[in-house]
Amino acid sequence: MSAVFRFASRRTVTQEPTKPYLAVVIDPPKRHVLLFGVTLTALICAVIFGAVTLNALAASAAVDALRLDGHVGDAERLYAQQVADVAALENPGRIREAAFELGLVPAGPARHLVLERNLPVDGAVLVSEQRAANPDPLKPLLSAAS
Amino acid sequence: MTSNPPSLRIGNRSIVTKRGTEPAVFRLRAAFICGLIVVLLAGVKLVDIQVINAEAYAETGVRQRVRTVELPATRGRIYDRDGEVLATSVDAATIYADPRAFRASSTASGIALPAAADAAAVAASLSELLDMEANDLEERLRRDAHFVYLGRQLPFEVGEAVQALRIPGIGVLTEPKRVYPGSTLAAQVLGFTGIDGEGLQGLEQRFDTVLVGEPGSLVMERALGGLEIPSGTRELIPATVGTDVVLTIDRQIQHAAEVAANEAMERHNASGAGVVVLEVASGDVLAMASTPGFDANNRSLFDGDTYRNRAATDMFEPGSVQKVFTLAAAIEEGLVSESTLMDTPQAVTIYDKRFGEIYRREEKEFTLTEILAGSSNVGTIMVAQDLGADRLDKYLRDFGFGVSTNSGFPGEAAGMLAPRNAWSGTSLPTIAIGQGIAVTLLQLASGFATIANDGMAVQPKIVRGTVGNDGRLAPVSQTPSRRVLSPRTSRQVRHMLEDAVTGDLATGGNARIDGYRVGGKTGTARKPNHNVGGYSSKYVATFVGMAPIDNPRFVVAVMVDEPKPAYYGGAVAAPVFREVMETALISRRVPAEAAGQDLQRALVDAQRLNRKHRETQTALVATALDN
Repeated sequence: MSAVFRFASRRTVTQEPTKPYLAVVIDPPKRHVLLFGVTLTALICAVIFGAVTLNALAASAAVDALRLDGHVGDAERLYAQQVADVAALENPGRIREAAFELGLVPAGPARHLVLERNLPVDGAVLVSEQRAANPDPLKPLLSAAS
Repeated sequence: MTSNPPSLRIGNRSIVTKRGTEPAVFRLRAAFICGLIVVLLAGVKLVDIQVINAEAYAETGVRQRVRTVELPATRGRIYDRDGEVLATSVDAATIYADPRAFRASSTASGIALPAAADAAAVAASLSELLDMEANDLEERLRRDAHFVYLGRQLPFEVGEAVQALRIPGIGVLTEPKRVYPGSTLAAQVLGFTGIDGEGLQGLEQRFDTVLVGEPGSLVMERALGGLEIPSGTRELIPATVGTDVVLTIDRQIQHAAEVAANEAMERHNASGAGVVVLEVASGDVLAMASTPGFDANNRSLFDGDTYRNRAATDMFEPGSVQKVFTLAAAIEEGLVSESTLMDTPQAVTIYDKRFGEIYRREEKEFTLTEILAGSSNVGTIMVAQDLGADRLDKYLRDFGFGVSTNSGFPGEAAGMLAPRNAWSGTSLPTIAIGQGIAVTLLQLASGFATIANDGMAVQPKIVRGTVGNDGRLAPVSQTPSRRVLSPRTSRQVRHMLEDAVTGDLATGGNARIDGYRVGGKTGTARKPNHNVGGYSSKYVATFVGMAPIDNPRFVVAVMVDEPKPAYYGGAVAAPVFREVMETALISRRVPAEAAGQDLQRALVDAQRLNRKHRETQTALVATALDN
């Protein structure tokens, strides 16, 4: 019984209802209330579960993304540092100093040459008349052996 | 179908008090009005929030929830011509403190708050890590400020170590730091950046807008306490990496030039030295060295004067080197040729000014080649008089004197060549022999490169191109070359220059390189005395040359400032030329033209050994056949 009803019943002294207090109603047709309730509850639960699961997955993926971002940042930093380190190690001035510390001495004058023909395997250089007769310095010995 | 029995329901009621009034209705109405007022007030506030001040509230909300972090752009790298890194950026740690954490305070309601940490203890613990005095650190921690730097651009590992200490009030930021792996290598060319990454000197300054890139931003939602909401809004605008700049500098040749310049400066007690190496065909600056130099990674330890790139910014009177251009102009005009014989006296007097020779020699007829080889002032002045001031002025300007070469280096000097109408009576003879004119070393090298390039002037350049995000080299635009001399004149001048190195009267004998034919010219000029006018007793020794002389690949220009006691270009600058040119020829794989003595000897030895080896083989075969 509602509060308004109780409040009214205490305060009412003379009560002359203008309309009948009670009315006849038709009993509503029977429905599958339980089935409907269970289905609705299951649906709501599924929706909530799905939403929470998706949110959790998104949060997990976001955390993974942040972690990967961190890794990428670290890797980029390391790469930049190593590029600088390698360049410093390859610095001609440092190499020169290191060579001196190892007891090396500056090389004598080097020259690039354009050869008129390919050198033989053993690097020997033939004089022109010998070259005409024996193009390969190893050949006479091999011929003799055969 | 059977119907259910009728049921009952509660109908309408009328509430009537004893006195016949309706207080409940009154109260309900009062409550309704109160409720209405509350709803109206709420509505007004809603309108205020949602309509009138919607923007401000939205901003406040965003400010409280969303945080935007600026992502600094990585500055572009600077490479040499072969892709070797000359300047790059790495992450560095910046340590800061909030001094409020190190002093006791109280809240607005008067609650006393103790200091989060003891400043002295923190200073002591950080002192070793930051390589700073504990007293200095403590003084910073006790400052009346909200933010103080304790150290900037420290190694990243230091930042990690400080962070691991978890000291309240101490924070670590990551900042990019510019590093120069070569330390002193090409330091004046590269320049340097400020602590905030802005280019301040050299090419770092010149190409600052290209190198700097564009910062990005990261917008993220943060919960109470500053933690990022993983599933919140996250908007990342990546920073655009700065464009890389590729120079024409060759690291090996640059190093050789710096070493040679340094050694010359020390050997001759000079105040400085400069070397420029140009590739003739392209105008590429392969090396631009200045000494004394500085370490770009620790520039605060060096005098600011060492930051200067002498080769591009310093002007000096070239002296006898200038004679080459005077004689080249005369040959081009058909007045003389390399074999023209001239009767040259010991001295000539022009407008009461006597011009004599530096080197004593007999008075006889000399060819133009001998005049250049012997660096004859008198012979050159006589040729210049035939040429005339107008034509000399024209040719010198065609060679590029009096204007900047526009090589791309900031602060490059234009030199000094007075306008033709401002020339005095003695301007012609003095300018003809390299006085009364001021040039940069780069201009001298460029002028010689024109002669080496069969008379075509190519603008020197120090930047090869830029490399953007696509990784492709975008070459800088090349200014069209222009003809100054004919190929025939150029060849004659080159032969004369070779004689200036190898001839009997040669002053540049120290520039000879075994295996290559070299040409060049010495210069020895007194420095002007700016205080009292005239010339001082200080000298500038120069040598500019090229090799191989028949088809020159490189021009090397050397300047040694104030050498003593020896000051002649042939004695001071020519050996530097030889060392640098030899390195350039070898490192750029230029084949030797004529086998040098050592090489010839080695070839003869090889042939002898080969012959002996064959004789031994023949003897062995004969012995084998006999057996």
